[in-house]
Amino acid sequence: MTGAASGRQGRLAALLAAPALLLLGAVLAWPLLSAVLLSLQDVRIVGSQGAFVGSANYEKVLADPAFWRAARLSLGWVLANAVLQTALALAAALILHQGFPGVRVARTWIVLTWIVPTVVVVMIWRWLLSTSGGMINPLLVSTGLAERPVGFFATPEAAFMSLVFINSWRWFPFIALMILAGLTRIPADLHEAARVDGAGPWQRFARITWPLLAPTLAVLLVIGTLLSFNVFDIIWLLTGGGPAGSTRTLPVLIYETAFRGYRVSEAATIAVLSTLVLMAFAVLATRSLALSGADR
Amino acid sequence: MTAAWRLLLGAGIVFFVLLIGLPFWWVVTGSFKVPQEIIARTPTFIPRSFTLQHYDLLLSASAYGTYLLNSLLVAAASTLLTLLLAVPAAYAFFRIEFRGRATLYRLILLAYAFPSIVVLVPLFATFARLGLVDTRLALVLVNTAFALPFAIWMLRAFFAQIPPEIEEAARLDGGPPLVVLWRILLPLIAPGLGAVAIFAFVSAWTEYVFASVLILTDALRTLPVGFAGIIGQYQVNWGLLLAGATLAILPVVALFALIGRWFVTGLTEGAVK
Repeated sequence: MTGAASGRQGRLAALLAAPALLLLGAVLAWPLLSAVLLSLQDVRIVGSQGAFVGSANYEKVLADPAFWRAARLSLGWVLANAVLQTALALAAALILHQGFPGVRVARTWIVLTWIVPTVVVVMIWRWLLSTSGGMINPLLVSTGLAERPVGFFATPEAAFMSLVFINSWRWFPFIALMILAGLTRIPADLHEAARVDGAGPWQRFARITWPLLAPTLAVLLVIGTLLSFNVFDIIWLLTGGGPAGSTRTLPVLIYETAFRGYRVSEAATIAVLSTLVLMAFAVLATRSLALSGADR
Repeated sequence: MTAAWRLLLGAGIVFFVLLIGLPFWWVVTGSFKVPQEIIARTPTFIPRSFTLQHYDLLLSASAYGTYLLNSLLVAAASTLLTLLLAVPAAYAFFRIEFRGRATLYRLILLAYAFPSIVVLVPLFATFARLGLVDTRLALVLVNTAFALPFAIWMLRAFFAQIPPEIEEAARLDGGPPLVVLWRILLPLIAPGLGAVAIFAFVSAWTEYVFASVLILTDALRTLPVGFAGIIGQYQVNWGLLLAGATLAILPVVALFALIGRWFVTGLTEGAVK
């Protein structure tokens, strides 16, 4: 390619990519930078002006037990979702990888839980798990599994676990399809050769599927971590962070601080701190994946 | 396949069909049951009654119809804008060599590495200055921005599959790059466009946080926010809420029935390449 041609190509590329980049810059990058500025000021109500206060907000937030509690809850939230979500997704993907009547339909419609609005997901489960009426409690009581209706959102632990289940229920099909993609990438003749050599299904899984799937799972674990960390609407709509703050993860705390507590700069500070941790995690994780040759 | 293995597979299929299907079955059938049956002590699997009273009340007593229309409008516009911006960008990233494109591409994917709630506060202030707060356009811009990185990434695989010779031949025939893109390449990546369309539509259709903060007027509310209000207002009128849930599921299910196959292909192909 000659210099002139590559220059023309470059201009064309810039022209084609410009509208998308402009929108991303205006709606994502610029507000992200503004959040950093906000965290160095003392702004209380959205849109108002504030004085420059340097690192005062950071000192305040880092000394606040509420911040550390939310950080611990977020960590627990991400880990619990990673375990449940990945386990369900892996099982579903392995099943969808088999041939059975209707597998094509199943592959399409498994994402049903992901295509409905979260507010509907919330409504569905609030009804199903309700203590007055609902579906699960009458079943538990009439089959004798429980003596009286179970309060799925009554205690801090129960509310947290119910939320993890509902969030994983919504997201596991999406992850399952990604795992399925990794599975279809494994050459079929490897399995065939192993079968000829007399390897059973379990051996084939342990020796071929699992090692070859591990890189995909690692990448998905990173994506899944970012996705679940960001979950706000399910928690907010179901428990509002309660009972007793037991489900107030960092996104919930940010929202409350900005729009309920009218301490915008403090919210921006928490947001910037979360972003730093998340980005560090993403960079470190992808780098270690790349080093182990799993990038691709 | 041994008998035990087959049994395990069957059990797994039943488990997932129940896990995903049963809640939806109960919700949709429940919306047609009379109130006494909905709150019956022993839940019925097959409905014993049929009524449209919940739908009547929902559509007459609340602004549900308006919310539904707003959501359809916002989701359709977001989908269109995402396609309009993502296709040229993906073409630039994956079919044209230029300096710094790898860096730029990596930067774009960073869009998912920070909590989206971070941009909510500054964005509200910016939109307020531009007079965009309380407009549906604001939601379209936000939804498109959040769908774009994934859309561009998804189109990558489809562009990569086109042999360079096809494009080369078309260009030698005298077409400028944009005409080649429009006439030759777009039809070849149709499934990719379908996949991106679904992703953009679903993201916009389900978005709650930004819609709840950026829209102030009730008549401009989208379905997730409006329905959340209805849920708060009609706490235990389960029939009405089930009808609302069913109507909210319907449009995406219809869209998915039409081009859902493409979405799954797009997702899996995208991850392969």
